[in-house]
Amino acid sequence: MWHSLSRIFTMSVLVNLVNTATSCSTVLWRGFHTSPACHRLQKLSRLRVVDNSELGKQAMLEGKPPRIIQVYNKNGIGTTGDIVLCAIKGLKKKGVIVGVKAQQPVLLPRTDSNNVVLIEDNGTPLGTRIVVPVPSCLRTILKKKTHAKGADYTKVLSIATRFV
Amino acid sequence: MAFYVSRLSLGLELRRLGCKTMRCSGVDCRSSSSTSTTLAPRSLADDGKTDKLGRREKKNLMMSESVDKPDLNLRFKYPEMFPEPFMIWRNPVKEKLERKDMLARRNCISIPEFYVGSVLRVNLSNIHQPDKVSSFVGICIERKETGLRASITLRNVIDNLGVEIKLELYDPRLLKIEVLRLERRLDPHLRYLRDAPPEYSTFPLDMKPDINRSDEVPLNRIKVKLNPRPWTENWHKIEYKGIDESIDDLITNKWKARRELLRKPWEKYDLMKTYRATLPEEEMEEILTEIKDDVEEHDRKHSRRQS
Amino acid sequence: MRLNKPTPLRPLIHYAELSKLVSRLKIPVHWHVKKLRRGDVPGPEGRLLKLRASVTALFKYERIEMDYYPADEARGYAERLISEAVRNGPQCPETMEMADWWLEEKQLVHKLFKVLVPRYQNYPTSYTNFYRAPFWYFSDGFQPQLNEEYPDKEINETIPAFRTVSYPKGLLELKGNPYPPIFPSKVTNPRSIQNVLLSSAKDFYKSKEGGSERLSNAESGRGIEFVPNEPKSDENLIESSK
Repeated sequence: MWHSLSRIFTMSVLVNLVNTATSCSTVLWRGFHTSPACHRLQKLSRLRVVDNSELGKQAMLEGKPPRIIQVYNKNGIGTTGDIVLCAIKGLKKKGVIVGVKAQQPVLLPRTDSNNVVLIEDNGTPLGTRIVVPVPSCLRTILKKKTHAKGADYTKVLSIATRFV
Repeated sequence: MAFYVSRLSLGLELRRLGCKTMRCSGVDCRSSSSTSTTLAPRSLADDGKTDKLGRREKKNLMMSESVDKPDLNLRFKYPEMFPEPFMIWRNPVKEKLERKDMLARRNCISIPEFYVGSVLRVNLSNIHQPDKVSSFVGICIERKETGLRASITLRNVIDNLGVEIKLELYDPRLLKIEVLRLERRLDPHLRYLRDAPPEYSTFPLDMKPDINRSDEVPLNRIKVKLNPRPWTENWHKIEYKGIDESIDDLITNKWKARRELLRKPWEKYDLMKTYRATLPEEEMEEILTEIKDDVEEHDRKHSRRQS
Repeated sequence: MRLNKPTPLRPLIHYAELSKLVSRLKIPVHWHVKKLRRGDVPGPEGRLLKLRASVTALFKYERIEMDYYPADEARGYAERLISEAVRNGPQCPETMEMADWWLEEKQLVHKLFKVLVPRYQNYPTSYTNFYRAPFWYFSDGFQPQLNEEYPDKEINETIPAFRTVSYPKGLLELKGNPYPPIFPSKVTNPRSIQNVLLSSAKDFYKSKEGGSERLSNAESGRGIEFVPNEPKSDENLIESSK
């Protein structure tokens, strides 16, 4: 099962001033905290292809899932509806993230795997059908991302079978 | 939206009174709570502590004898009404205002009795859908937070993909909550279903409600067999009663040794720790007397509407 | 540099906690848990073992004097144990297990259920008293320590660097104990000489004309009004004394 592990490491310092007879103070380091894995998608995260494109199927069968090499975002963290550039089988292909393993805000669905639908640069999906349920918030997100003379990302919605 | 307005008014009220507000919690399920494990059924409390009325009467000398003592078993039905016992962030004014808002919301929709392990169908108002309404069926794997921010997580496996949705019970965007199967489980949360085979979390989206006419909420003693590692959380570290013993075959000897070091057999004797983590009975009774009548009225109204 | 106290770990309410029923304690419960000095066993287990010794001693002797903060901690546990025993009685296996663990001497378990529970059955207040005790007693032979390094100086406890005994002490007792009370009871003794004289003076004053009225004024706090016909009352006095 592919999942992105990203943890936050913080050092918490408790300064302990120990007064000895010669009154020297020693500083003790204590505590090393790590947060639980937050499963955020960033560069080099592996994704699961959920459409029926040949490229995607081949990659998943071989056990070499696509890795994100660029997130088209202000911050490098990808969530539902973000366009990403993936490296699959030596090729660079764009994709739309349609399902995220990380904790989501209220009313947004969270899936057990990080799902991606491969698309061309103009937004046409490579496959003809998405086999898994897809969050309904994609409708609004992809519509917002689609501009008149740019790529049309809403084509992905036409191949979706079920909305959650 | 009414929800945000009420929250805003609450916030303004609190700022005016100079009170602190509660912060959001993270997920932490280190509480083993191995002593009292059975969740009380609707009719009787299993722990045998509220059975003997004689002792309770003697205890509450301060409360007048004539006042009707509320049935403490109601606390399982409305767990979000009881504030967290963390004294530093508690505020009686805030809690009273919140309970008022919660009762007002319960007047509008029926928030039925359910437990972790029950299957629910929830109708939501969804701005993203063309018909503005969406529905989700799933098993409740978690119940978090208290007060107006009380939330649940529903899980279902749809088209071989596990999907979870977190919902706030008092969110005005929730149009209807329907209990399809009312039952309890052995653990306070079922997050380990994420690392279990999909059979344990699959429920048909057009599921019909299971009508259970018995007085007691049935306890499902199912023991889940987990998938091989890697897992999303360290399920072996806590003694989950709902996880099968075969989990020992899935972990290494080194992990088993580490697990032994994590055991805290002294914790069940730590009386003050349990006191700080629980609301005293007197306080529960006070809260229940406050909400009992309203909540009964709401239940009657909604059951009348259904029939 | 003084570090602020960290916020204690916030317990999350779960179903298991809701299913536990506890009685409210009538003592102030601190939310910052005090760490105790390290004993043989480290960590929270060791802390509980130390507290166990204190609780056992409290139940055995019913009045103990020890360091203040550990006594404060032990007080909570003693109160909790008694409240569980009063609430559930010896039939409840969990309470019996708790009492068995907390009281190292097994006769004290019998004492708890047979002596203390009937004693505290209807108490509306706390079961223990907790006072600040003197840091030291001169009668114990306490004397300021002399330090070998500085033989000419007499080191006394006001110099913190030399760390002689300065930990605050506390006195913890179970209510209803057989010892004489720590603070004398403020009950008026009508047979003490002052009260005998005062009561007879009161009767005398009352018996005089208008005396009862003036007395009631004085008692209510309205003050004694000046009576111009003082000689008249004196006449009465002389008459009555005759």
